Amino acid sequence: MESANLPLRATAVRLALFNHKGGVGKTTLTMNVARAMAKLGKRVLVVDSDPQCNLTSLLVEDEVVNDLLDTSDAPEGQTIWSALKPIVEATGDVRYIPPIELPHGMFLLPGDIRLAEFEQELGTMWGECFQRRTRGFRGTTALSTVVNQVVWKYGIDYVFYDSGPNIGALNRTILLDCDFFAIPAACDLFSVRAIKTLGHTLANWIRDWDTIAELAPKDIYLLPGQPHLLGYIPQRYKMYGGKPSMQFAPFIPLIEKTVRSDVIAVLTRVNPLLVAEAVSPLRLGGVKDFGSLATASQREGVAISEVSTGTQEQRDIAEDTFEDLAKRIIDRTSGAVMR
Amino acid sequence: MTSPALETDYMETIDGLVSHFQDNLPVFETFLKQLRSVVEHATLQPYIHSIKTRIKDPNHLRNKLVRKMVVALEGGPPFDYTSENLFRQINDLVGVRLLHLYTRQMGDIHRILTDLLDEHRFTVIEASARTWDLESKAYFKSIGIETRDSDSLYTSVHYIVDPTARTPRTAEIQVRTLAEEIWGEVDHTINYPRKSESHSCREQLMALARVTSGCSRLVDSIFATHIDSLRAASEALTVVSADGPATARPR
Repeated sequence: MESANLPLRATAVRLALFNHKGGVGKTTLTMNVARAMAKLGKRVLVVDSDPQCNLTSLLVEDEVVNDLLDTSDAPEGQTIWSALKPIVEATGDVRYIPPIELPHGMFLLPGDIRLAEFEQELGTMWGECFQRRTRGFRGTTALSTVVNQVVWKYGIDYVFYDSGPNIGALNRTILLDCDFFAIPAACDLFSVRAIKTLGHTLANWIRDWDTIAELAPKDIYLLPGQPHLLGYIPQRYKMYGGKPSMQFAPFIPLIEKTVRSDVIAVLTRVNPLLVAEAVSPLRLGGVKDFGSLATASQREGVAISEVSTGTQEQRDIAEDTFEDLAKRIIDRTSGAVMR
Repeated sequence: MTSPALETDYMETIDGLVSHFQDNLPVFETFLKQLRSVVEHATLQPYIHSIKTRIKDPNHLRNKLVRKMVVALEGGPPFDYTSENLFRQINDLVGVRLLHLYTRQMGDIHRILTDLLDEHRFTVIEASARTWDLESKAYFKSIGIETRDSDSLYTSVHYIVDPTARTPRTAEIQVRTLAEEIWGEVDHTINYPRKSESHSCREQLMALARVTSGCSRLVDSIFATHIDSLRAASEALTVVSADGPATARPR
């Protein structure tokens, strides 16, 4: 179909657990699912693409984080900003930075508070893509290019972007670089409300990018711009008698209904293939409120199943929860490498 | 004279093509904006009087396709439009028209415009001048633009440009003088979409072509004279300032 001389995209499966509503547990979920996937034998890269750097703080000791952020603007910088800086300052192409290696075949591209500066430029670069300016294309695909380099060098199978809770320019390029996304949702009304804007925003991003890509010079590296929905993941509900408690249970069908009406229906109008993997059950799994274990996980920088507190039974439940999610995601995305 | 009724099958084909175009309007709108930003570039502005742009009205596209279909059914060239090639086969779905004052500006305009298009990574797949005037023909050849005879006496320079993107797609940039625009607009109003049946109108249009051509030629001459006189004045000024106190005489 496409001509053979297109600039290459690394073939790892890229995905984001994305919801622009804050506090739905995106970072904790991303970290735990990524780790579960790594334990299943996949080589997983997590990209901390949130200027808040929560994921990096979670996975890397404070001293190291401080050091990374102190030196990231210098020529020897090692964060995602260090990689992108030449693009923002128009001094050259992205710089390769090696990821931080974590246990179980998991790798981290450390985040940076300065990503906010990159995001500001991305707004302008988006307009430049509409004008067919090389700078616009280079900037908009910069993060994707940084990821390509790591994927090739480390033989990565899966890339997880952890993004901030907003629908800004940075998340737009991230979602357009993703092959897949899933929607984590807390069991409350605000979370349901957010899903409505999510679907429409994504549809607009995809349409706009399609226009840009239709007119872009043929030999230029572009984002794929076709994030496929995998499903949703209800989060942080309390359990009672083995089921989500009365306080939370009614929200799950409400979330499902909203995903169907405001994401699936909306994306189908853009391109039915975008929801081809969003098969039944739409709910990919569920992450109950792990309470003190979740807190301990954040404090200790390990998966919920690996914390030093709680009972073995609680840790086993956590292990199974994220393993099931990881397996389902692998299952639904397995056709992707061939695309 | 309305277009002859076409059978449903043929109309469905045409409707499909028109709606394919309509589905793609956002892309054409962006394409047009991109071309506008090229032709509005500061280096071209000294030569350009005004810029007109348009996206083809879907109804006009439909009429055009109906006419092509009728011709094909009557044994003319086959109807070879498909949704795969429509955007390439029809060059003027996006149209840009640059108006300027006189023909001899075309050398600079051609050079600057092709450079700008190249810089913006548009491919010029055709650049040609429709003309019937021998003197103009020689001029266009001298500046590297091929010419085509024009029996209708229509005159204009046409560029067909392609963004060289994933879907082949073309746009037409027309460049003509203000005097040529007069003829073009009068002709268009009288003969489009239906040719005037009035013999006198046709005759008068042929005469108008001579007038507007003469008008462009006269403006060429006026500007040649004007530029010469400016040059002479500036040389005189240089001589004055070289000789003594730099006192340019007020006019």
